[in-house]
Amino acid sequence: MKIACSHCHIKFDKSVLIEQDDLFFCCKGCQGVYGLLHDSGLGSFYDKLGSRTIQAPINTSSDAKKFDTQSFHKRYVKSLHDDLFEVDLMIEGIHCAACVWLSEKVLYDTDGIVQADINFSNNKAKIVWQKDKIVLSSIIEKIRQIGYDAYAYDLDEVEKKAVKEKKEYYLKLVVAVFGSLNIMMIGIAKYTGFFTGMDKEILSAVHVAEFILATPVLFFSGSVFFKGAYFNIKNRNIGMDTLVATGATLTYIFSVYVMLGGSGYSYFDSVVMIITFVLVGKYLEKIGKKNAVDIVDKMRATIPVDCEIIQNNKIVSKLIDEIQVGDIVLLKPGQKAPVDGIVLEGSGSFDESSISGESMPIIKNKTNQIISGTILEDSTIKYKATTNFAHSTTNEIIKTIENSLASKPAIQKKANQLSKYFSVSILSVALLTFIWWFFVGGFEIALITAISVIVIACPCALALSTPMAVVVGISKLAKLKVLFKEAKYLEILSKATTVVLDKTGTLTNGKLSVVKQTIYDDKYTQAIKAIVSASTHPVSKAVYNYINNDNKTTADINNIKQNSGQGFSAIYKEQNMIAGSIDYLETFGIFVNTNSSHTIFCVAVDEKLVAVYELSDELKENSQKLIEYLNTQNINIVMLSGDRQIVVDKVAKKLKIKKRYANMSPKDKANFITKLKQNQEIVVMIGDGINDAVALSKADISISMASGSDISVKLSDIIILDNSINKIIQCFKVSKLTYRQIKQNLGLSLIYNMATIPVAVMGYVIPLVAALSMSLSSLIVVANSLRIKNTKDKI
Amino acid sequence: MNGILIVGLFVGLSLSIIVLAFVIWGIKTEQFDDAQKQNSGLLFDTADDLNDAINKENKKKQLHKS
Repeated sequence: MKIACSHCHIKFDKSVLIEQDDLFFCCKGCQGVYGLLHDSGLGSFYDKLGSRTIQAPINTSSDAKKFDTQSFHKRYVKSLHDDLFEVDLMIEGIHCAACVWLSEKVLYDTDGIVQADINFSNNKAKIVWQKDKIVLSSIIEKIRQIGYDAYAYDLDEVEKKAVKEKKEYYLKLVVAVFGSLNIMMIGIAKYTGFFTGMDKEILSAVHVAEFILATPVLFFSGSVFFKGAYFNIKNRNIGMDTLVATGATLTYIFSVYVMLGGSGYSYFDSVVMIITFVLVGKYLEKIGKKNAVDIVDKMRATIPVDCEIIQNNKIVSKLIDEIQVGDIVLLKPGQKAPVDGIVLEGSGSFDESSISGESMPIIKNKTNQIISGTILEDSTIKYKATTNFAHSTTNEIIKTIENSLASKPAIQKKANQLSKYFSVSILSVALLTFIWWFFVGGFEIALITAISVIVIACPCALALSTPMAVVVGISKLAKLKVLFKEAKYLEILSKATTVVLDKTGTLTNGKLSVVKQTIYDDKYTQAIKAIVSASTHPVSKAVYNYINNDNKTTADINNIKQNSGQGFSAIYKEQNMIAGSIDYLETFGIFVNTNSSHTIFCVAVDEKLVAVYELSDELKENSQKLIEYLNTQNINIVMLSGDRQIVVDKVAKKLKIKKRYANMSPKDKANFITKLKQNQEIVVMIGDGINDAVALSKADISISMASGSDISVKLSDIIILDNSINKIIQCFKVSKLTYRQIKQNLGLSLIYNMATIPVAVMGYVIPLVAALSMSLSSLIVVANSLRIKNTKDKI
Repeated sequence: MNGILIVGLFVGLSLSIIVLAFVIWGIKTEQFDDAQKQNSGLLFDTADDLNDAINKENKKKQLHKS
């Protein structure tokens, strides 16, 4: 019978739950938090939670004391007044409104905390406390006590500026849209009056109403164009902003003149629409900018704060910043190596997936090198530090990512150049028109005609053509479960010349599976199942998954001994059972003859071989298809892997990839990409592991699977949410389609201008036509962009 | 007749400008920044919750005073 845990509400079998006074808990953590909440009078949390489930309490082993260190305060804590501190924290484990309520309530009820606001949408919290009443580590402990965890993040100046800028744009857009909607309504009356006649009194009132609406739109919403035009002029350049600012201002001045008693119709509606359309285009470009700031903080949060050093035969605890070259570090099972070094005593298997990306643990013996950031899995070893923390591999990786994030190069857009020529031509044509009509018809007619030229040639359609198509393309990809962090990547992706692929986890499943078994004696299958079920080693797990499909119970085996990732020994029905790698069995005098390139797991009983399992990392479905597609697009394909040459060659041969490189460290991969970029290649990197993080940050565009490591996902520009390789092909297809549509849009808006400008120059354009045709050109561009949505068959 | 039309035009315009002012105030004071929290906050309206809200506000006010 399944029963829900009284704290987290996740259902478990009754037999595994801890029972306490009619209550059931899935773990000690849940039990502790439940007791604490009830004792502190916070039981109403469960009423608020209802039947929703939450995450079981996060078990954090790291010491909260690091939050009080000077270096931490220097980096993350802001001093508000003499006695007030402020910090931005990311709270982990927040799931629902009840979680926010609980955390805020506990923090607000704590003496010394004056502000604790948690944003439900992004789990970020701002905490202000009085430094003479409480320390930050106690605040963190409070959060941990109720089952959540927190780490600091650094909201840097760039991010702050970006957030502020986005908000400003949003405000300006709200005002502009408000102005255009209202002015359009008034416009209907005005243009009806144009045909049916209108009292002068009403027309004046309409002009004043339009003036009231247009003024804030031009000077508040349009201020971005004035700023842009100012910088353009300062740099002796003429861009889109100059054209928009000049056009809108001249039109506005003319309209004010009409309102104050001049003859004709005002163009206030055109002023508002020019500003609004171009601003929409600008806003679309601004939103969705990628947020890469907290990646580095999250990486830093995984580094141990201190470690144990052996000094004069005594174990002393040291902060990792204090480790010096030559120190002897004591590493226990499950701990991360803080600095690089060489093994002095003991042996153990290391999880190097953070460096090489390969999931197979590697056995390290005396004199073998240890890389910082790798995790010791089973035994205890002593090693001599060969670097300090500042020069350790982990810190180098973090530093490289930090630097490349700060200087991520953006490919310059050609559209800006196009708009420059366009703007110069329009302004020149308007000027020539003015001069011509000045001599032919006088000042007033010359001004009206010149303004008509500018209004009708307004680059609204030109400004909308790129962002509109990109937004439609991105939303189409979002429906296909592909996430783009920034719009411009669509354009860059469509121009990519080289694709660099990681092997493990990207082209292959990154998980071993049995591809062949040879059984010499089948009566030991259940005993093998029992022995492999005792280990979490990837090979044991794969063998267990392979043979655990018969629903039979495992046999009783005793005295299981594990030998640091190499194999096991056990007693089964008074017989000696040995299982493990070929090398491990050889140490017992059992020799296995095989020339297989796969990973081998063998089992012997009383020195007689009973079973051999061959394991391999299988290719992902559609890997072949991706390579074939990239080949048809004439894109260079390169495979980089931290794995051995023989394995890399095998995968490359299967997929027919010619350029492949094995034994690549994270730095090698990054250097390789930098070199490609120096040769003017536009590089797309597809990877998933922490080991790919640096390379991902260096590439023009990085793509990763959502199942990849946290760091890679955060660093990537494009994320494939359902981990399907097929979606990468679709990414390329949609980006090419979108780029084609952008070119079509630009073409359409230029054709429109070429057709309408001569008519305006000749003085045949009435205000209604100017206003309508300007909107029409923008609508055509929008409609053309929407076609991307309906191209289902081509993708 | 013209007078009514003109008054109607400007009354409508003034009302919509008032609404716009409220929206701008909302954006500037971060009323729309965490809509999820604002919405679900409506569910927590027991006397205790409301007292907590007042306490929070008081603490914040003290902070701004100091």
